[in-house]
Parts: sequence; structure tokens; C-alpha cells
Amino acid sequence: MVTTLIDPQTNTWADVFATKAGAVYQCDAERCWYVDFAGKVAKFDYRCLLKLKKAVYNVDIEAKLLETTKDPDVEIIFICACDHTYILTLMQIIALKEILEGTFVMLQLNSILQDRIYRVAV
Amino acid sequence: MKDLIRVRSLISADVEMLLNQQVKKEAYSSAVYLSMASWCNRNGFDYSSDYFFKQAEEERQHQLKFYKYILDMGGNAISPEITGIKQEYNSFREVFEEALDQEISVTQSIKNIYARCLKEQDFVTNEFLNWFLKEQREEEYKARRAIELFEVIGEEGTGRWQIDKHVGDIKYNSEA
Ligand SMILES: [Fe+2]
Repeated sequence: MVTTLIDPQTNTWADVFATKAGAVYQCDAERCWYVDFAGKVAKFDYRCLLKLKKAVYNVDIEAKLLETTKDPDVEIIFICACDHTYILTLMQIIALKEILEGTFVMLQLNSILQDRIYRVAV
Repeated sequence: MKDLIRVRSLISADVEMLLNQQVKKEAYSSAVYLSMASWCNRNGFDYSSDYFFKQAEEERQHQLKFYKYILDMGGNAISPEITGIKQEYNSFREVFEEALDQEISVTQSIKNIYARCLKEQDFVTNEFLNWFLKEQREEEYKARRAIELFEVIGEEGTGRWQIDKHVGDIKYNSEA
């Protein structure tokens, strides 16, 4: 007899990566991620998460640090076709970048694990 | 935890980016050939003009092949912006020398993507790229052969007229 394992926690969020500044969770049932950062929890689908990553990675942190203008030290992370906009200080950008870097490493690791455990013939 | 990223796309974000850059390169090639076709036509080299029109069309097809592959694999194909196309050439020979340079740079670029895919074990994309590697053999051969005509025929007298006539006949038919 074949028994199907039903995960009773399909709607729960799995920890992907966290630092002191924030965290990213994955929701399998909704096929999305929740980014807990800068005082809000925002939902991102696959496309938007990649856009967020691109937007954050594209901030030239070094250039911003060397900037001597008196402009306020904030960066607006606006993601096209996503509901969320972040207005972040340079320190927050660095913190968010760290979270996203960790997140994508963990997602890649998950992919490797899935390959090894379920997909690849050995 | 489900592998949500793999579910959405067969290719990695890095490979997707490289393929989009290649889309742009092919579009650029097509535009360069179109400009060469115009220059040759204006200067009385009608066979060469036809040759470059054909090349421009081929590059456009290459661009679409990459473009559709990215979409088929679940990626985001980006329609490229093409600027800075040279419109004037100093000589008939210079046109062909730049055509070869262009093909060499395309070959190198495809090799670079191939190497990246090998590293990621993205054999699916490598298999897709195989067609282009073979195509580049032909493209480089044809471009090199055209320059060879300048050597064997010579540009003196009616040389350029002869060269132009022979450019129309350049073909690559290797069984290998
Ligand atoms: Fe091409």
C-alpha cells in the first residue's frame, strides 16, 4: 500500500535566512517569500524577489560612502510591478544586502539538497 | 521547503543574464551588417551589399533564437537597445576586416557562456549552444575567406570589382 505523506504544515513559513536586522521566510503553499525588514513584512513572488535583489545589489555602496555632498544618506528601492518600496539608509542597504545574499545562498543550497535527496539517481 | 526557484526557471539568473547579453550582441551584429550593406551599396559593391544584407538577416535570426530560448526556459528576455553603429568606412577592405572582428567577438562570447554553463552543469543550455558553436565556425570561415580574396586577387586595377563578384560566391560546406 502506498501511503501519501501529507505535510500538515503546508501553510507555515520556513526560515530561509535571518540576521539581527531582519529575515526571509518561504511559504510553499503561496509559492512566495516574506521579507521581514525595516519594520514591515512584505510578500514577494519569484520575479519580484529577483528584482529586489537586483535593485539592492545595484546600489554602489562604496561610492555612496565616499560621497561628500550634504544630501540625505537615503536610497529609495523601488521595484517595478511590485507593491513594495523601501526607503533605506546606507546602513540598512548594507544590512538588506547581507540578508539577500544569505537568502540566495540558502535557496541554492536547498536546490542542491532537493537534487541529492529526491531528484538525482545515484 | 520547496525549490521554488527551480520550479520557475530551468536556467540560473547568471546564465539568463549572459544569454540576454548575447541577445544584445546578436542584435548589434545585425545592425552592423546592415550598415555595411548600405556602405557597400553606396560605393558600387553590389554583391557585397547583398552578402551583408543576408548576414544581417542571419544575425537577426540568431538574436531571436536566444530570445525565445530564454523565454522557453522561464526567463525574462529583454529587448535590447542598440546604439553606436558605425556608418562610414575608410575602405572596402576595412568593411571585411571589421566583419571578421565582429564574428570573432561573437565566438568568444558564446565560448564564455558555454564555460559558465559547464561550471554550473547546465548541460541543457550547452546543448542549445552547440548549434551556435557550429554556426560560428561557418561565420568565421566566411569572414576570413572574404579577406583572403583581397590577398589572392589584389585590389589593383579591376581587383575590387573582382573581389566584390567573388564575395557573392563564398560558401562554407564542410561535412565535418
Ligand atoms: Fe550570430
